[in-house]
Amino acid sequence: AAAAAIAASKGNGGGGGRAGAGEASSSRRKKGPGPLTTAYLVIYNVVMTAGWLVIAVGLVRAYLAKGSYHSLYYSIEKPLKFFQTGALLEILHCAIGIVPSSVVLTSIQVMSRVFLIWAVTHSVKEVQSEDSVLLFVIAWTITEIIRYSFYTFSLLNHLPYLIKWARYTLFIVLYPMGVSGELLTIYAALPFVRQAGLYSISLPNKYNFSFDYYAFLILIMISYIPLFPQLYFHMIHQRRKILSHTEEHKKFE
Amino acid sequence: MKHYEVEILDAKTREKLCFLDKVEPQATIAEIKNLFTKTHPQWYPARQSLRLDPKGKSLKDEDVLQKLPVGTTATLYFRDLGAQISWVTVFLTEYAGPLFIYLLFYFRVPFIYGRKYDFTSSRHTVVHLACICHSFHYIKRLLETLFVHRFSHGTMPLRNIFKNCTYYWGFAAWMAYYINHPLYTPPTYGAQQVKLALAIFVICQLGNFSIHMALRDLRPAGSKTRKIPYPTRNPFTWLFLLVSCPNYTYEVGSWIGFAIMTQCLPVALFSLVGFTQMTIWAKGKHRSYLKEFRDYPPLRMPIIPFLL
Repeated sequence: AAAAAIAASKGNGGGGGRAGAGEASSSRRKKGPGPLTTAYLVIYNVVMTAGWLVIAVGLVRAYLAKGSYHSLYYSIEKPLKFFQTGALLEILHCAIGIVPSSVVLTSIQVMSRVFLIWAVTHSVKEVQSEDSVLLFVIAWTITEIIRYSFYTFSLLNHLPYLIKWARYTLFIVLYPMGVSGELLTIYAALPFVRQAGLYSISLPNKYNFSFDYYAFLILIMISYIPLFPQLYFHMIHQRRKILSHTEEHKKFE
Repeated sequence: MKHYEVEILDAKTREKLCFLDKVEPQATIAEIKNLFTKTHPQWYPARQSLRLDPKGKSLKDEDVLQKLPVGTTATLYFRDLGAQISWVTVFLTEYAGPLFIYLLFYFRVPFIYGRKYDFTSSRHTVVHLACICHSFHYIKRLLETLFVHRFSHGTMPLRNIFKNCTYYWGFAAWMAYYINHPLYTPPTYGAQQVKLALAIFVICQLGNFSIHMALRDLRPAGSKTRKIPYPTRNPFTWLFLLVSCPNYTYEVGSWIGFAIMTQCLPVALFSLVGFTQMTIWAKGKHRSYLKEFRDYPPLRMPIIPFLL
C-alpha cells in the first residue's frame, strides 16, 4: 500500500528493469515474444498511449473553455478511471510472462495508483475539486504518454532518442510533482473519511476484526517517507546508466 | 600420497585471499574453512561459503577435497554470508515473543483497551481457553527447540531474526488484540464450535509433537545423515504414508482449529500466510527427498494428502 509513491515513478524509471528488456538493442534478451504477442502488446500500448493523450487533450480543452484550472478533474474523470484501471492488465502481462518485469513490483505500482483513483479520489467526492488532484493527474498524464509510447516504439524496434531521453529525464520534475499531488489529496480526504467512517469496520462484529481506513491512509502517507527517496535515487542512477550508455554508442557510430 | 594445494579467491573481486599448500587429500570443506579462518579470523567458518564456481552452489561442509572435480591445485571461491546467528537463538526469540505478547493482551495491561478495562478479565470462557491453547502451543515449541530438534544447519544470517520476529510478534499482537478485546464476540455456534475446534487443535498438537519425535529418532545425535522418515508405532505418525512433511500439516491444522475456536479473522489470515509459507518449505523438502532417494514412496505429497 505504501506504493502510491512508486506509482508516480512508474513511467519514468521505476520500471527501469523493464526498460532494459524493452530495448531493441538489448542483446541479453533471451527470447523475444512471438509475433502474436508482440502484435497484442503493440496494440495495448498504442491504445494506452492514445487513452492518455485523450486525457491530455481533455484537460487542455477544458482549461481553454473554462479559462481556469480549478476542478478540471470532472472533465476527464471517465477516461482517467478507464485507462488507469486498464493498467491492471500490465500485472497480467507480467504474470503470464509476456513482459519481463517483476509481478510484485508491477502490482504494487499499478495497484497503488488504482487505489488512489478509486479508493481516494472516487470515494471521497469532496476532494475531487482540490487542485492537488490536478497536480498528480497532470504528472501521471505526461508520464504515461511518454512511457506507453516508449514501449510501443521499443516493441517496433524504432525507439527515437527523444522519447528515451524524455522517459529518463522528465521524472526529475514529474515524480515529485505526482507525489506531492497524491499526498495532498490523501491529506485532504482525511477529515471526510473520519467524519463518514468510510470503509471502516468497527467492533463488535462476529468476525472479531476492525479496520480504520483513516489510520490506514495515514500509514500510507508515512510509507512515502522511506520509499520516495529510495525510488527517486534509483531512477537517477538508472538515468545515468541508460542515457550515458546511449551516448557512448553514438560516439562509436 | 600427494598433497593438494588450495587457493581461495574472493568470488566478487577474484582477489587472492589465501593459499594453503600441503592439504591432505581427505580434507573436508569444513577443515579447509577452519584453515581459512586462521588467516582471516573475521570470517568464522559459519560465515563462509566456498564454491568451485564464483556463481555456483556452495560446497557442503562434509565434501571431501579429493572427490571434487579439481586438479591437485584447487581454486575455491569465497563469499561472505554475513553475520550468523544460531538457529536455537533465532527460534527461542521468535517463540518467546508471541507467548509474552499474547499474555500482555490477555491480562489487558494498561494503554491497550482504555483505562476502565485495565487488568480486567473477559466474561467469555473461550477467551481463557484460547489463551491456554496459544500459550501451550508456544511453550511446546520452545521446549521442542531446546530438547527435541536437531538442527542440520547450525546458523542462519543475522538479519533473518529481524524479519522472523516482525512476522511472529506482529501477528501475535494483532490476533491477541482482537481475541482479548472487551468487545469480543464469541463463536456463532457456541460451545459446540469451541469443542470441535479444541479437538482439532489438541489432535494436531499431539500429531505435530509425534512427528518431531519421529524426525529426531531418525537423526542420531551429532550426525548429519538423512533418511526417509516412515510411520512408527505411534498412530499420529501414520500421516507419513501420505505426506512428506506431516509436521506442517499438523501445524496448519492447529491454527485452523484456533481460528475456528476464536472465530477471529486475523487468526484465519495468519493460518493462511503460515500455510503458504509451509507449503513452500514442504515442496522444497519433498523435492530434495525425491532427488536423494530413488525408492521414495510415490504416494506421498508435500503437505496435503493427494492434493498438494
